[in-house]
This record gives sequence, structure tokens and C-alpha cells, in this order.
Amino acid sequence: MVVSVKVFKKATPNGKVTFYLGRRDFIDHLDYCDPVDGVIVVEPDYLKNRKVFGQLATTYRYGREEDEVMGVKFSKELILSREQIVPMTNTNMEMTPVQEKLVRKLGSNAHPFTFHFPPNSPSSVTLQQEGDDMGKPLGVEYTIRAYVADSEDDRQHKRSQVSLVIKKLQYAPLNRGQRLPSSLVSKGFTFSNGKISLEVTLDREIYYHGEKVAATVQVSNNSKKSVKSIKCFIVQHTEITMVNAQFSKHVAQLETKEGCPITPGANLTKTFYLIPLAANNKDRHGIALDGHLKDEDCNLASSTMVQEGKSTGDACGIVISYSVRIKLNCGTLGGEMQTDVPFKLLQPAPGTIEKKRSNAMKKMKSIEQHRNVKGYYQDDDDNIVFEDFAKMRMNNVNMAD
Amino acid sequence: MYLSGPQPYASFLNESNDASAGPVVYLGQDYPLEFQHMVHAHWRGFRAPPIYYKAGIYIAFCVLMCLNLFGNGLVLWIFSTSKSLRTPSNLLILNLAIFDLFMCTNMPHYLLNGALGYIVGGELGCDIYALNGGISGMGAAITNAFIAFDRYKTISNPIDGRLSYGQIIMCIIFTWLWATPFSVLPLFQIWGRYQPEGFLTTCTFDYLTNTDDNRLFVRTIFVWSYAIPMVMILCSYYKLFSHVRSHERMLAAQAQKMNVKSLAANANTDSMSVELRIAKAALIIYMLFVLAWTPYSVVALIGCFGEQQLITPFISMLPMLACKSVSCLDPWVYATSHPKYRLELERRLPWLGIREKQHTSSSGGGGGESIASVSGDTLAMSVQN
Repeated sequence: MVVSVKVFKKATPNGKVTFYLGRRDFIDHLDYCDPVDGVIVVEPDYLKNRKVFGQLATTYRYGREEDEVMGVKFSKELILSREQIVPMTNTNMEMTPVQEKLVRKLGSNAHPFTFHFPPNSPSSVTLQQEGDDMGKPLGVEYTIRAYVADSEDDRQHKRSQVSLVIKKLQYAPLNRGQRLPSSLVSKGFTFSNGKISLEVTLDREIYYHGEKVAATVQVSNNSKKSVKSIKCFIVQHTEITMVNAQFSKHVAQLETKEGCPITPGANLTKTFYLIPLAANNKDRHGIALDGHLKDEDCNLASSTMVQEGKSTGDACGIVISYSVRIKLNCGTLGGEMQTDVPFKLLQPAPGTIEKKRSNAMKKMKSIEQHRNVKGYYQDDDDNIVFEDFAKMRMNNVNMAD
Repeated sequence: MYLSGPQPYASFLNESNDASAGPVVYLGQDYPLEFQHMVHAHWRGFRAPPIYYKAGIYIAFCVLMCLNLFGNGLVLWIFSTSKSLRTPSNLLILNLAIFDLFMCTNMPHYLLNGALGYIVGGELGCDIYALNGGISGMGAAITNAFIAFDRYKTISNPIDGRLSYGQIIMCIIFTWLWATPFSVLPLFQIWGRYQPEGFLTTCTFDYLTNTDDNRLFVRTIFVWSYAIPMVMILCSYYKLFSHVRSHERMLAAQAQKMNVKSLAANANTDSMSVELRIAKAALIIYMLFVLAWTPYSVVALIGCFGEQQLITPFISMLPMLACKSVSCLDPWVYATSHPKYRLELERRLPWLGIREKQHTSSSGGGGGESIASVSGDTLAMSVQN
């Protein structure tokens, strides 16, 4: 049986030490988190008594690089765990299946390593920048790094250092929940009797990325005012705990006068469909996206989930939440009334039917994309990939010269 | 700046002539006849300064002019032509460079005056000289204050706190408006007036006339161009510093939640803590302001309220030198501490010998660079089972 496994690989500038990683997305299942498992291959005879150290670090970047003055850096790097990889110190380490395969394939120079995310570590999130901003992206990012040195603190040699950006993500729980989130508000007026009441109900609590959010709005007007128009938004709430800042952005919106005005005594029930998509918010400053490595695989940031019994206030990094906001315009004198219904926007967990469907869609999309773009994205074709790899090595050698 | 230390002021007083020195020449005696009326009576009481004093200041001015043109010209050129430096905040630094260059326009005039021993252009020349000095000096002072404020805003709220282009342009217009009233009022002699000072080769506002009107003018200009910007600078940097301190603590507490002890600002950590670095930078800027404007304030206040005899021609030349030299230091303090500016300088003028550490591109901190390279390295390989 031949099983094709996709492996990520990156070498130091001098080509002597190479990372092999089975995947770059690591899932936080709330109660436990996938460990970062990989293999490092060191060219024989290169080390000469030196050691290879590995680190798992997260970088918070909470301000533009171009704004840094007076020696202030708007970024912090937290080294979450560090370990000596070669020679291996952790003798009772159990290898994961991927590691076993890799070690078998790559031979005796391969050294497995495992890093664990500490509890409470935040998910990878990127804050979108305006179009021409070329600085480092804002957000939370994870990096694994390996370097050759005599001691752990000695990180002088750029040429024998390799780092790889990885993602930490959260998936939706298998069970999407039966509860339908809803909100009911009513508004009275200063100079007239009666109230307008507004009830908003969503058809789900947890949505997957790309799914339609259906908000059923029920307005019953028992006042003497009339409702002129209805606005519906999907709001992304971003809390950046690193700087104690929070803001809200509309990621999808709709305004309608259909069925309006809702005259005194009238009722209206209407369902609005909105799809919150990153593609519709291109180049908008401050929109939070799931930490992305390539342009193609970016979607809006998933809602932050916390372990039961803990509040989101304890969460670190960037905390994301979503809500549907309905606004009724009751005329110039009546003012506006609004209500928010929170919901969650998440990646479907692997294995669920929906996941398969969305994967299929993604694949279709990427096939379409790659029909035009030639290159090593053709994942299924090994030969081309290996050629590219060889070319890269040569480039490296040239650069070294 | 001066070559030899100032002589005790008593030696300049007319009471303490030594008879052996031949005929005594008093300051203002050799002034052209048509400009004699411009010389304040105060100065006539002093002997004409010896030639090496004049020469010393003359040479100092030559050096300052070159430094000013070089430093500020470089700032103007690089900041206005490189894309990586095009941010709202940097407009303020550009504005400061413009004010400093504006101050430099006086220097050729001074060199002419110094050579001839009187103010070229008479009253008009004097007015132009003092007007340039007033606008550029007060403008630079208030620009310093706005830079401090902008830095506070940016650092206290890095996500969306920085001032927008519109706000910065408003600030810049404001700096020019701020510099206008107290330089235009004396020009038209509505309030205060301009007159020669020191060796009678430079001009500034009149701080010697002892009328109530003029005293009030000196007091007001003291508050306007010294006290207010100074308070703004102090407040901004103090708030900035306390914000950075509490922010560092907050991040450390957050890291604690993840059991992380190491909290590095960047891959290659500096040994100095962030707080210390900020405090140092803020202190340098504050000292620069003090150095620039305190001598002037002291001389003006003494001239107006204190012992006027203390103000010898030489002493009154020092404030001039102080604020002119600060206009040369500004580009080094503001621009050269800017990492992007240094990178740009290194790229365009390699002969300057600036070596900026390339931590942006090759460090393992991750980021744009490494994302790009990482996606290039991604490859598939098959493992046979």
C-alpha cells in the first residue's frame, strides 16, 4: 500500500540542518493540543561537538514596524519551550506515526523532536493591513526554530539557523449544539406611548467559514412610530489583550427597506442571509484573519473558544468573537434601536461531513487557481516538487558562495 | 563652543579699563552712522570685544552652518523620497528639518554681518534676521512638542492610535501659526521690537527696554515659546514612559499565564530594558530642548527683570549659538535614531559608514520575509509505507 504523505521541509541557509514537519496546522482541542512533531536531519560530520537546539516561540506583533520609535518594539517574542534536539536528551520520547515514517525514510541522521503548546496559548491570528503595507503582519504567530550552537543561549550564527512559521488553530466541536441564539429588545419613546419590539433568532449557534448566517427578524410595532428601514450587520469583535485594545468591524452588511415602513400596529417577520467572508473584506485595515501562511488560504479569524469553566477574560493573545447586529431605523425623531446576537464562526473539525464538503470545494477552487499558475503547488506531482527542491538547494549554494 | 572661557564680566565694564591698553573702543562706536540709532544704550557701556572672540564665534557659525545644511538637507532628501519613510509621524520630522533649515538661512547673513561688523541691510536686515530666527525657533520648539505628543499617541495605542495624515497636517499648520504672532508683532512694532544684540551683528527681540509694555512682552514670549512647549514635552514623555512601564508589566503577567519566563522584544535581545531605553531617549530629547532654549530665556529674563549689567555682549551671543547648534543636532537626534532612516542612509550613502544591524530580514522572528521563503520551501514528498 502506498500512502502519500505531505511533508513540509526547510533547511538552514547553509543547507546542513533541515526541518521536516508533517503539517503546519496544529489544533487546539481545548482539553489538549496537538504537539508539534517533526524530525531534524543534520548532515553527518557537520556538528563536531556542537549541539542542535530547538525552540517553539510565539510572536505578538501589536503595532506597525514603521511606527517604532525611540527604541520601542511593537512586538514580543515568547519562547514557549526549548529543547536540545541533537544529541537527544529526552530519551523516553514516543514517536508519532509521522515521525516514525520520517525517521525510517531519512535514516540515521534524522532526530525526532516534539514541542508542546503550553495551556492558555493563543491561536494564530493575523490582522489585515491596508493594501500597500509591506511590514510584518500584526497578530499572533508561531515559529519553530532550530539552531546549531555550543550552548542554549548562543544564537549567533544565522547561517545555521532555520525557522518555520506554523499555525495553532481551533476547530469546531463535533456537535454543533441545538440552542438557537436569540435576542429580544423593545424600545419605548419619550413623547408617545407604546413600544416597538425586535426579536432576532439565528438558525445556528456555530457556523463554519463560508456558511450562510440566517437571522430571522421579528418586528412588532405597537408604537405610534414607524420603522423606516432595517440594517443587518455581521460584526467581528477583536480584543487585543497585548495592548488592552478592542474594536469591532462590520464584515458583512445589508440594508433593506423591503416591507418597510412598518407602520404602527404592523408586524414583520423576515429572514436575512449574510455570509461573512474574508474575500469581501480585502484590504480593510484591522480585519482579523486566521493566521495565514499563504494568501490563498485565508479566512476570517475563528471565534476564540476557551475551556469550560474559564472566561474569555483569561485568554491571551487576540480574542475574536462574532455577532449579528440588527438596527432598526425609526425615523429622525424615533432614533435607532439595535440588538446583537452572538454566534461562533469556526473551522469544521476534520472528519465531519461538512468538512469533507468544504474540502472538496476548496480543492475545486485550488485546482481552478492552479490551472493558471504553474509551479510547485501541484501537490500530487512528486517529481516536479523534487526538482524545485534541488534548484533551491543550488540557489542556496550560490548564495553561500 | 567658544574657544576660550569667558573673561570675568568686570573686565568688560567701562569702570575697569586698564589705562595701558591704549584708546578704549566702546561697542557701537564704529557702527555706521546711519545705523547708530539702532544700538541700544545698554551695549554702549561695553568695550568692543577683542577680535579673537569675534573670530571664534565666526568660525563656530561656519561649522554650524555646514552641519545644519548637511544634516537637515539629508533628512529632507531621504524622508521625502523614500517610500518606507512615508508615514504621518515622519511628516513632523520633516517639518522640524524645514524649520531648522529656515534657521540656517540666517547664517550667511550673519557671516556677512560678522565680517563687516554691522548688520547688513540696516533696519530691514535686522528685522528679516530676527523674524527668521523667531519663526524657526518657536516653530521648532512647538514641533518638538508635537513630535512628543505623536509618539505618546503612537506608543500608547499602537493598533490605531497614531495620528492620521489629516491630523498631522493640522498639527503642522498649527506649528506655523504658533510661530507667527510673536515674530510678526515685533516686526511691525505693534508689541515689542527687534534690535541688534551682542556684538551688534545679530538681531533679536528687545529684552532690554524697561517699559511695562516690553516687560509684559518678554514674559509672554517666555511662556509662549519656552514654557508651553516644555510642559507639553515633559507631559508627553512622562505619560509615554509610564505607559511603557505598565505595558511591560502587563505582558509579563500574560506570559506568566503560559509559564513563559523569557520575554524578548526581538530575536536579538538588547541588554537594556525597554523602560531604560525609552527613558534615555526621552531624556536626550528633553535635554536638547533645555539646551536650546534655556540660555535664551535666562538672558531675556535677566535683561528684563534682573541685573542688566550681567549681560555682556559675549554672554548674549551664547544663546544664539545654543539654539543654532541645536538646529544642527535635531536631525541626528530625531532622524538618525530612526531605524528605517539609518537603513535608507546605509543603502544610499554607503560612504557614511552606517552599519545597521539587519535584524529585520534574517532573524528568526518570523514575519513577512520568512512567510515568503517558507511558502517557497514547502514541498511534498512521498513516504512509502
